[in-house]
Amino acid sequence: MTLTAVRSKRERYLTFFLGEEQYGIAIDQIKEIIAMMKVTYVPKTPPFMRGVINLRGAIIPVVDTRLRFGMELVEPTMHTAIIIVEIEKVMIGFIVDRVEEVVSIDASHLSEPPKFGSHIDTDFIRAMAQIDENVVMILDVLKLFEADELVSLEQIRQTQIDEGE
Amino acid sequence: MTKQEQVKAIFIEEAGEIIEKLDVDIVRFEENSNDFDLLNEIFRGVHTLKGNANAFGFIRLGEFVHHFEDVLDHYRSTKEEIEPYQLELFVDSVDIIKEVMTCELEALPNLPERYPECLGKIKHLIASKKNAPLSVVSERDSEPLFDLASEFGFSCCEQIDAGVANSIRSHQAMQEEGLNLFRIDMTLDDDCYKRGFDHLIFLKLLAEKAKAIESFFDMEEVEALDRFAGDENTIKRVIVIVLTEQTPDEVAENFEFLFDHEVATALIDPDRVPSVEEKLPVVAEKVMGKVPSDTVTASATVPKSTIRIDTFKLDELFDSVGELVIAQNFIAQNGKIRSIEDESISRAIETLSKITKRIQDRVMSLRMVAIRDTFDKMKRVVRDTSKKTGKELHLIVQGEETEIDKTMVDSLSDPLIHIIRNAIDHGLESDGTERLSVGKKVEGTITLRAFHKSGSIVISVSDDGRGINKEKVLKKAIERGVVSGDESLTDTQIFGLIMQPGFSTADTVSDLSGRGVGLDVVKTSIEKLRGKIEIDSKEGEGTTFSMVLPLTLAIIDGMLVQAAGEIYIIPTLSVVESFRPEKEIVHVLKGQGEFVSLRGQHIPVIRLSDVFDLSTERIEPWEGILVCVETDAGRIAIMVDELIGRQQVVIKTLGKSLSRLKEITGGAILGNGDIALILNVDELRPLIEVAHGGN
Repeated sequence: MTLTAVRSKRERYLTFFLGEEQYGIAIDQIKEIIAMMKVTYVPKTPPFMRGVINLRGAIIPVVDTRLRFGMELVEPTMHTAIIIVEIEKVMIGFIVDRVEEVVSIDASHLSEPPKFGSHIDTDFIRAMAQIDENVVMILDVLKLFEADELVSLEQIRQTQIDEGE
Repeated sequence: MTKQEQVKAIFIEEAGEIIEKLDVDIVRFEENSNDFDLLNEIFRGVHTLKGNANAFGFIRLGEFVHHFEDVLDHYRSTKEEIEPYQLELFVDSVDIIKEVMTCELEALPNLPERYPECLGKIKHLIASKKNAPLSVVSERDSEPLFDLASEFGFSCCEQIDAGVANSIRSHQAMQEEGLNLFRIDMTLDDDCYKRGFDHLIFLKLLAEKAKAIESFFDMEEVEALDRFAGDENTIKRVIVIVLTEQTPDEVAENFEFLFDHEVATALIDPDRVPSVEEKLPVVAEKVMGKVPSDTVTASATVPKSTIRIDTFKLDELFDSVGELVIAQNFIAQNGKIRSIEDESISRAIETLSKITKRIQDRVMSLRMVAIRDTFDKMKRVVRDTSKKTGKELHLIVQGEETEIDKTMVDSLSDPLIHIIRNAIDHGLESDGTERLSVGKKVEGTITLRAFHKSGSIVISVSDDGRGINKEKVLKKAIERGVVSGDESLTDTQIFGLIMQPGFSTADTVSDLSGRGVGLDVVKTSIEKLRGKIEIDSKEGEGTTFSMVLPLTLAIIDGMLVQAAGEIYIIPTLSVVESFRPEKEIVHVLKGQGEFVSLRGQHIPVIRLSDVFDLSTERIEPWEGILVCVETDAGRIAIMVDELIGRQQVVIKTLGKSLSRLKEITGGAILGNGDIALILNVDELRPLIEVAHGGN
């Protein structure tokens, strides 16, 4: 498809696990990876929004990626990590079960994501990649961001309508 | 942004500042038209504005400012008495400048209506004054020190250099104690006229303070008349020898609007010149402006005392300092470090905390500006309103040096203007006879004051007018349904009514007419700044509107409370009191929630667990603590488990994706690194009403 035609260079991805499944995020979008830390609960947010953390003085919202993808909640372990992603000056942390490695994937090894058969919202999966025995799902972080922003925009509009009455 | 656009943006900002300053200065000048230092100041502003405007193609602005400058220059140099109607013209001119600037910025094709009329008046004024032209050259006969024309004959470098050497010698002969001799080498760029400069300006400026002055113009590049371009400078090289009382800094000030490469000022030592004089022409011929260093010391250019910093950078610095404070707290409070019983370590930690505090204070102070500029603007408002209403009044300004957060200053002007207009228009008695009949002076007094009060800044506007008639306000409020009438209201609450949105309408009684028009808007904008308005009034004696504002927008004084398993912060400004209620005063209204009766008032109790849909163990109100807060919709009592303490906290946003939460203003990082959410108490009450089906 067009995907392979456009992308002909190798890109580096950080891979991580949610349960048994392996995911990847393009490394240039990642600001840093930190160990799980105290998360302050923020009321009246969707369940996957776990709250906010204090990253050296900056307050950053944290998304529980498991809950975001409809998986069940698990207690944090010593491997649990927060991946801080930054897009257009907005930082969000993603809680993942375990960070694996950084891999280089040639664009020609990426394929279109399947449209069915997964309990995960496929909108956020940009591509699939085969690394050795494993299949890695490459996430489209921008789409994840936008989806959450969209929710907020709708709610803001809603409240404005309420107030207008 | 391209380089050009950047420069333009800077110009627009500067021009805005200049115009703002003109606005203030011209009113001050109107009060005291003998203050020629101030006139000079105004002239300089106008002059810079002219240069800038022309450089960016704002021709219409440039044109107007140019003529205005001529008028100012006339009075500046003649120190002639200025007639009141001319002062009026000056004030109008500044208005026109403001309007033209807006037209230019928005690229509107139309000029302000009064533009041609005002420009005509200005031109007429100049024409009438310039019958006997007052140029430098014309003074030549009476004052030999303005001898310019004789030097125009020089046409080649050698002649000039020889002339300069001669001139230095002769000036040295005239030199007395307290006089400095300067050699000023100008190499003006060919676009200097467009930037608003010409050679005569500098000679005039220098001549004002000079004992003797001689100048040399290099006419070599001047084209024949048929090829002469009037708007381009062809006399690029000018050397001025001046004997003056001014210091090197003062001399350099005359040239501060030129580029650095265009001017070189050198102080010539009075004692040791003759030996180098012979060499001087040769050297000067090769290197313009360079004179042997054993005879001349270059004067230092005056460094600007201020720099512009992007507020974004300041915010970043502020954030970093916040981190520093937290890290420092962590060290100071760390149990392991504290257990080390070593005096040097505890002393080091003590020093660290002192330095950290100092850095924090200084960084904070970077955001602070004196309120003077805002108050100065208000003088104009007072003047205009006084003219419009025909009320004579006297303005007293106090505490101009009080500092306030820069971001707050901008949002403060409009409410202040509103309150001042209100005070003059409706606060003061409508005519002098009414004032005289109650034993007051005809002239009303408006007092504008800024001061610190227990961690807040108070800006107040007082009038000595008739005061607010409580009975009438109350009557009106009951009529309008703002209050029910069977409540017992304190004076403060009654005065507060005039700021309620529904209170004022066009048909309010004459005595109060207008009081309240738009005051609810003022209230809202002050509340946006996390401040509040207090009104104090005594009938017959006057009214005071006080805006109580936080020191800065970035920091609030917060009360830390524990509720539903988390720590929340309630802004102390809105806290009225906190108490553990007796069981007897708590009432439960079925399906409508809990109330607490306090001194005859029924205050709804709010549980954060209800507001935030938290499932926590329900305790009875008399087992917890109620924090009574003032909100838009009246008092509420927030039920908390425990009071933790009071602390200044730095407000941080929770990020875009969480900013939709109305109930929470933001977050703050506590000393131990934990985050506490700051409650927006105004948003708490509506929720409880919805939750309990209203009351």
